[in-house]
Formats: sequence, structure tokens, C-alpha cells
Amino acid sequence: MQILQSFKNLLHRKHIIAKTWKNQNKRPVVGWNSTYTPEEIISAINALPIRILGSMDTTTTLADAYLPRNACSFARSTFDHALKGDYNYLDGFVTSNSCDNFGKTYDLWRHYTQIPYFHFINTPHTNTPKSSEFLYYELIRFKESLEKHFKTTITNKTLQTAIKTYNENRTFLKQVYNLRRKDPPLLSGVEALEIVLSSMLTTKQAHNKLLKQLLSEVTTRPDPPKPGVRLLITGSIMDTPDLLNITETVGGIAVTDDLCTGTRYFWNLVEANKDPLEAIAKRYINKIPSPFMHDSHRERFNHIKQLIKDYDVEAVIIFLLKFCDTHMFDAPLLTEELKAEGIPVLNIEYEHTRSGIAPIKTRIEAFIEMVKGVP
Amino acid sequence: MTRLQTLEGFYQNHIQPYYQNAHNAERDGKPIAYVASTFPVEILQAMDITPIWPENYASVCAARQVSVRLAEIAERRGYSRDLCSYARTTIGSILTTEKDILPEGGMPKPTFLVASTAACDTHLKWFQVLSHHLKRPLYLLDSPYNITGADAENLEPHYIQQYMSQLEELITFLEKQTNTKLDKNRLRKIIELSDRTSNLWLEIQDYRRTIPAPMGARDAFSAVFFMLCIPATQTAVNFYEKLRDEVKERAKNGIGKIQNERHRLIWDNLPMWFNLKFFNYLNNLGAVTVAETFSHVWTGSLDPSKPLESLAKKYLPNFANCSVERRINLILNLAKDFHANGIILPTNWGCRMMSIGETIVKEVLYEKLGVPSLILNVDSSDWRNYNEAQVKNQIETFIETLNA
Repeated sequence: MQILQSFKNLLHRKHIIAKTWKNQNKRPVVGWNSTYTPEEIISAINALPIRILGSMDTTTTLADAYLPRNACSFARSTFDHALKGDYNYLDGFVTSNSCDNFGKTYDLWRHYTQIPYFHFINTPHTNTPKSSEFLYYELIRFKESLEKHFKTTITNKTLQTAIKTYNENRTFLKQVYNLRRKDPPLLSGVEALEIVLSSMLTTKQAHNKLLKQLLSEVTTRPDPPKPGVRLLITGSIMDTPDLLNITETVGGIAVTDDLCTGTRYFWNLVEANKDPLEAIAKRYINKIPSPFMHDSHRERFNHIKQLIKDYDVEAVIIFLLKFCDTHMFDAPLLTEELKAEGIPVLNIEYEHTRSGIAPIKTRIEAFIEMVKGVP
Repeated sequence: MTRLQTLEGFYQNHIQPYYQNAHNAERDGKPIAYVASTFPVEILQAMDITPIWPENYASVCAARQVSVRLAEIAERRGYSRDLCSYARTTIGSILTTEKDILPEGGMPKPTFLVASTAACDTHLKWFQVLSHHLKRPLYLLDSPYNITGADAENLEPHYIQQYMSQLEELITFLEKQTNTKLDKNRLRKIIELSDRTSNLWLEIQDYRRTIPAPMGARDAFSAVFFMLCIPATQTAVNFYEKLRDEVKERAKNGIGKIQNERHRLIWDNLPMWFNLKFFNYLNNLGAVTVAETFSHVWTGSLDPSKPLESLAKKYLPNFANCSVERRINLILNLAKDFHANGIILPTNWGCRMMSIGETIVKEVLYEKLGVPSLILNVDSSDWRNYNEAQVKNQIETFIETLNA
């Protein structure tokens, strides 16, 4: 299907596309790396917010000089791209208090890259009325900081427009995910991941157009994915389709996920509110939580269990990015709970490099065989 | 390489009774809380809640050479070997069925747990796991990350406000858990006592500026126990007064930790608790540790007339809760004030907060002071992440460059 190629292109040509956009529109490109970054506010200054992504097929020799071996290899990979100059076109970099690896590599980005604007959003770790208020105040400061640096004004109207476009994108993505409930699903896990990732690399308006076209064409696609063992994929970030690729060549098919490049990114909408910043704050504090949030495991595990029901999931793979502490602490409990409900679970600890992929493939293959063998 | 007199028998005289008292509290049905470092323990002390620090217990297990055995129990339950070794050790200690291997009879079971995010996200997750297995509630103090690295006087007002409003909430939680009311007068007294302890401790540290330094890291890493675990107690004050007198006397008489002091080092972060003799080895090379960041980050002046505000101002600028600039400034000032000519930056395998950014510290310190640093790949309590031959090799090469 041709339209699927468009999403793939956005992913593979991300730097060229961002640079072209910048040249054509004469507007800033702002990088972000945490799903707790309120992109709506960046979008409201007519900037292009893009997610900082790494790659699994390049070495990280430059970053290795600055990062210890026990640092997250995704953070390492993105920082390496920055040192290589791949992100030199960025006009700003925004992160949030949602991960120790990100928090500390933010220091490295500030020290060793030439990006002219940095901002850190102090995302709370609790979901209470007080923390929501605190985040609201942090967002006011973020808005003011953007206005000051980029010499522009953000009005309620521009924010409401951004919210509308973002909500539309989230709604479309949910419809795309619904297509995976069918058996076999209408989209493979690799295709779905490329669709979500590409939504973070272009304007949401442009992406919405592509999604509309996809939704109208996909039901009659001539080349649907092959059936397989229906899997839910959970973990922190998955910024390249490599792991899903191998999963889907050995008899599995990813039908849904709990990833920050998946449902945790787009599941929740910003609710209508007179004060758009307050509405945005509420959305980010109430969204399907990442595990750095206090007491989040209950809500996140329930989200996973609900997806297992809704998507007819047969088995779960937990992809644990090495040194991602908050996920590593949750994994044993999640495994225990799912197994107690009779759901097979595979835990894969991996480094964000291609060299480790061959043994992972063998383990997934064995797991799929095991699941198939269960009567 | 004898220890200071005040430190003789420290474990038997102070650590064992501390755990014994806590076990007595459990037996008598008195409230016990598990606490994570950077938590404002003063509030607990004001309510006569016995604090137990899993971090301290992990270091005890490491010193007693059982931490790895306990960590392996946690690993068999699925907790990754890359996680904080303190966390694995204590999770293992509550999951193990072999209770007789636990030093001091293990940690007594808590009434509840409290943690803050001021050091790391690991605290929050680790305590969540402990809370789950122990079936006891956890209160989380959600500390804003001090992104500008501001000191107590320059903190963002909304950070202080957010912190203080949670202290109010915490007090309500504690009152409910213990069925008692917080006595505001007692809190003021506790704050005063904690401030006194902190000042005494800093006074002791200041004597280490003397050449030769009267005290080294081996003694400091034991003595910091009161500062860290039970600061607001008369025991702490008495102990530090005695230690202060001894250190003062030694400084006055020119008695150093080692007599032929050739190198003065700053030690960042944690020691290898399972190998505190490492500091004797450094001494044998003519090097003495004159300051540890660990001996400075738990201090902070407190104002009894503003108890909650001063707790916010004490804990929010803790360098673990700050951008790298604060860590650089701290080490930079220590290096200057304590006349150091070398800095040791130990990486802790399970600790992102302390490991990432060491290269910036190293670079900036060399640029600004001309003092070289050595990054060591070690672990606080898991000796499987520690290669002694390699580490000693690095140290000896480093010392040689200091000689040059």
C-alpha cells in the first residue's frame, strides 16, 4: 500500500524533512524527548516539535566518551547523533522531569551541543490536585519562556487550535489501532509503529491528512499482514522498528502496545476547558502513566489488561531497555500478575544496538513456539 | 592506620544498638518508618517514629559481605542486575527465607514507608516494591528537580511552596498512621537539634582542611551515620562533640591520618562499603581523603522559627536533585577549601544520577582548578561490579600522575 510508504519515509528521512520544513516555513524546529512534553504549546508558536530519536544501526563512539557504560543506550544513541551534528538544525531542546537518564543527559546536551534554546519542564511524580496545579504553573512558565526566546505571543486561540489538531491526531491514531483488533489485524506492528513515530516528525496537520487517507484505503488493502500469535508489546521507548521486525518474522504479530511511542503517547485527549493551559496540564498529569509516576503501576497494568481483552492478545513481550530503572522495577510485578491470569510473558532485556538482535530473535522464536503449543 | 579513638568499636557501639532499638520498637508496637535518603527525617523524629534506612542497611550488608547473596535473591525474582545494588540487597533481605543470614536480624517490619524523589526515581520505584511486598503504605514526597542548581537562598519560590504543602500533607499522613498529633514545639526543638548536629559535623569537616588532615574517609564514612540517619538526637550531638574534640586536638598538634601526606583527595559519591579497607590502601600510597561529597550533602542550616520552610531549603538543593552545576560547584569548593590535588569520581553501576555527568565534572574541574579527576567503575555494595586489580591499577597510575 502506497500510503504506508509515506509514513516510512517520514521516519527514514526525518532530518531532511525537518530541515526542509524549516527552510520553507522560516520557523523554528524544537526537539523533545519525553512523552510528558506538551507539544501543543510548542506547536502554538508555529514551530515544528519533533521527537529526538536514535538508531540501532550506528555505533556511538562519540557519545561513549561522555557517557558511562551503565547509562541508557537510547539516551546514548540520541546524544551521539547530536554530537555527530545530525541535530544541528534544532532551534531548541525541551525535556521534562520524567526519567533520570534524560534528566542527567540534559546536562550533557547543554554542555556539548550548540542548540540555542533549552527548557526543562518540572513534571511532578504524583497525580494530585496540587501537582496538577504545580504543572499548570510550570506550563505558564514554559509558554512565557518560548514567547521570550522566540519573540512571539501565544494566545488562548492559538493554543485551542493546537489542541484541536493534536486531539484530532490522537483520535485518528486510536482508529488506526482499532484496525488491529481484527484477526489478522489490518496493520502489522511494524507498520503501526512507523505510523505513530512519524506523527512525531511532521506537523500534526500534515500527519492528519495522511491518516485520513490511510483510514479510507486500508480496509480494502490487497496485502494485509499474515496472521500470527497476537502480541502486546510493552516497555519504555521503541524508536526503530527493528525489534518488531524480528518478532513479526518468527510468527508473532504485534497487535497493540504499552509504549511511550505507542498508546502512552496518544491515548488521552486534552479535554475542553476555558483555560487551555490548564486543560493541557490536566491531560499530561492524567494520561496513561509512565512508571516514574508514583503508584502508577496499578493504572498502567490495568491499561495493559484492558488492551489484552480489547485486542484479543495471546501473549505479552516486555522489552526492557537496559538501565531503564523505572521499567525494570515494574517488570517482575507485571510479569507475575499477567502470568497469574494465564497470559504468557517474555522478558527481554536489550541494549539499543543491533549487535544484540540475533540472540533476541532466537528467544522470541522459542517463546512464540511455546505459546502456539499451548492448547 | 588506626582509627580515631572516638570511632573505635563504632559498629558495636552505635550501629548494633540502633538496630536493636528498632527491633525493640517493633516488639513494643511503636511506629517504624522506612526512609529514603534526602527525606526530611526531622518530621519523623519529631513524632517519635523510628526511622530505618534501607540504604544504611544495604551498606551494613555489604560491609558484612552478604549483600551479593541478598541481591541474587532479588535477581531470581526478576529484578535486573543493573538496578541499584542497595535496592536489590534490601529487596532480597525481605524476600529471603534464610533469615539467619541477615545482619542485625534484618530490618524490622515498618508501619509505613516514606520516600522522596529528591535523589532519584529509583527511590520511588524501590520503595514501591518494598511497600508492595511488605503490604505497608508508602507516602511519596514529590520534590521538584532543582534544574538551575540553585542554593537554599535562590530556590524557585514555587518549588519551596510545592515542597512545603506536601510536608503539611505528610504530617496529616503521619498523624493518621500513628494516631498522634504533631507537637509544633517539639518539631522546633528537633529542628534546633538537627541544626546543631549539622553544624558540629561541618566543624569536624573543617578541621580536615589542616595539613596533614587529622581524619580520613574510612572514619568519615562511619561517622556520617548520625548525620544521615538520626541527625536530631542528643546521641548524635554528644558523639560529634567528642569527635570534634579529638579531631581538633589532632589538628592542633599536627597529627595527620597519615604522617607522610603526599596527596589530598576528594572522594565523590559512595565508597565500596564491602571494601572500606580500600582507604587504607590509598593511605599506604601516601594519599588521604580530605573531603567526601557524601559528608557535605546532608548538611544544611535549619531555622527553628520556620521549620517547614527550612526543611524545604535544606533538601531541595541536595546535589542529587540538581543539575550538574551544583555538583561541580560543591566539588570545586571542596577542592579549593581542603587543598586537594586529586579527585576520585566513583561510578556506581546501578546509579544513573551519580554516573552520568562525571565527564563534565572532570572536565570543568580541570579547566578551572587544574586538579585532575579519576573516574572509577565500581559499585557501592555489589562486588561483582568491582574489579580490584583494574581499579588498583588505575589508582596507581593516577597517583603517579599526581606525583609528576
